[in-house]
Amino acid sequence: MGAGSPRARAAAYFLPRDLHPGAWWVWTLGLAVAASRTTNPWLLLTIVAVVCHVVVVRRGEAPWAMAFRIYLVLGATIVALRVGFRLVFGGAEGSTIVLRLPEIPLPAWAAGIRLFGDVSAESLLGGLYDGLRLATMVICLGAGNALANPKRLLKAMPPALYEIGTAVTVALSVFPQLAESVLRVRQARKLRGGTGGRRFHALRTIVIPVLEDALDRSLRLAASMDSRGYGRSGTARPRARFTTGLLMIVGLGGVCVGIYATLDGSTPRFLALPVLLAGLAVALAGFRLAGRRVRRTRYRPDRWRAAELVVAASGVAVAAALFLTSGVDPTNLNPSLTALSWPLLSWPPLAGVLLGVLPAFLTPPPEPTDNADVADAAEKVTA
Amino acid sequence: MSTAQELATVRKRTWGRADQAVRIGPRSAVVLALASAAGLMMFVWPLLVRVEPQSMQHGPDAPFVFIGILPILIIVVLAELSEGGMDSKALAMLGVLSAVNAALRPLGAGTAGIETVFFMLVLSGRVFGAGFGFVLGCTSLFASALLTAGVGPWLPFQMMCSAWIGMGAGLLPRRVTGKAEIAMLVAYGIVVAYVFGFLMNLWFWPFITGAEVPYHDGHISYVPGDPVLENLHRFAVFTLLTSTAGWDTGRAITNTVAILVLGPAVLATLRRAARRASYGRKPTFGE
Repeated sequence: MGAGSPRARAAAYFLPRDLHPGAWWVWTLGLAVAASRTTNPWLLLTIVAVVCHVVVVRRGEAPWAMAFRIYLVLGATIVALRVGFRLVFGGAEGSTIVLRLPEIPLPAWAAGIRLFGDVSAESLLGGLYDGLRLATMVICLGAGNALANPKRLLKAMPPALYEIGTAVTVALSVFPQLAESVLRVRQARKLRGGTGGRRFHALRTIVIPVLEDALDRSLRLAASMDSRGYGRSGTARPRARFTTGLLMIVGLGGVCVGIYATLDGSTPRFLALPVLLAGLAVALAGFRLAGRRVRRTRYRPDRWRAAELVVAASGVAVAAALFLTSGVDPTNLNPSLTALSWPLLSWPPLAGVLLGVLPAFLTPPPEPTDNADVADAAEKVTA
Repeated sequence: MSTAQELATVRKRTWGRADQAVRIGPRSAVVLALASAAGLMMFVWPLLVRVEPQSMQHGPDAPFVFIGILPILIIVVLAELSEGGMDSKALAMLGVLSAVNAALRPLGAGTAGIETVFFMLVLSGRVFGAGFGFVLGCTSLFASALLTAGVGPWLPFQMMCSAWIGMGAGLLPRRVTGKAEIAMLVAYGIVVAYVFGFLMNLWFWPFITGAEVPYHDGHISYVPGDPVLENLHRFAVFTLLTSTAGWDTGRAITNTVAILVLGPAVLATLRRAARRASYGRKPTFGE
């Protein structure tokens, strides 16, 4: 593999393998951050298209990867709800009335609520842009869940989180598990037949099993890891544990205060970036201390190789592009809702977002799973 | 016959055992009481001193209130951990439920008081106890504010209100089960919808000038230096006139519908998770 010809090296690079889950999460979060910076529908739809393309090309055949469409449905629901609420409860902020509905008169003391009535284009568009941005962020998170193997993510966790291992296991595995459970329960219902029935009956036969299955399975995973010694404090002295715990908690608190002050423009500036950085530093120190204490070995650890770096870099590049270009063309990044105009796309942010599609071409395809092999073999046998 | 009986027992749904709810220990009780007293002070201090109207309500003090809330949360968690009210699996549920709540909040869009974050708080507080509900209220509002660009000087106050909502749900009588329990939770959801509106109005009311509505002639503005009770009376009238029938009612309706439709399923699921994770139960051998 080492010093072959460039061609052999490229072949080795593109050998099918699963990438490090952390790389996919960096890419996903980069795109989500980029989506949070804009309300331009074209840019947002471009981000969704990029995400969908990469997911379809690079996901494996695991159940959590197949559940990506659930996040798409969720995104569509968010947009529909946001616009629908504007339609029902007073969408008259603005002058361009596009729809005149009969208004249900409410007494004057029902202040702030209107039922139906004139609907303005401004308020509909406000709901649409807002909902679309949120839906894009949700779809990005769904892409992370589809592309990154949650169990390998657990394996790649920093050793500092070892002591709260049970909590982290459940928290990390329950959402991919939820999507998986939806598929399992739906399949079971289909096999049983009689999927019709009353709506509330359907709710009870889908929602409860899905929730219980997902929670059960992630708790079971946590319990089995616990029984294998995962998450034990080991030989650390209580004093050392106290110090590292204190460092991590103080650091996390600092990070929270820093984020709050950064996002809320009215707080004094000395609380924003300095506290954020100080909190990060303290938390990292705690991480290092805790990580040094834990002695464990990993079987075939996932490594960051060139492909992982490409994936992570493309996600970071998208986020950075939208931060850097926000000064170039702010009106089109957040289209105005007072003076209505067709939202326009400018090249810099569009090119930035398109950087996110690189992983679809520059990474090795996922490893075919055992299930697929079994299915192939079964087909061959039956044929 | 036996099948019919079994069916009958299945039909009599109890949605898990309500009396299993987490007991609140003395240390947690003290911490929660002190935190609530301090929280109440942060809402009512403008009534006790003379404040000047300002465009950014609570602008100067909100960041420090936020800084104050964080250690309180950690102390509540530690107190609960040390008394067996929470364990590492409860911490995991805290993370999961915060994420669920953060994802639920944007669904409602906040129009006309349709707030989808409170019903989950009520249900989780009921199952996992007062301390858990208190912490969950804060974490889920903070997480959802990050998602919905809702960070501002109002955030620490919203966090405190939601913390009380979750805590109160954990303090409801434990013996009530079945349909009565759902009815009780619905009633509680309606009450907290109005209380939340009341408190969040109190957040800005002392700082605005010339509050008046066209359908009521009377003085409903804050008067600096007036006795607390007179200001409170004016404030109650202000809240009744401006928001009780509007947004607060919208919130109450949302809570009612959500608890009625999803309550039984969610209660059963959370209880099952809590039972399987066996909170605060020491293992016994050789029985």
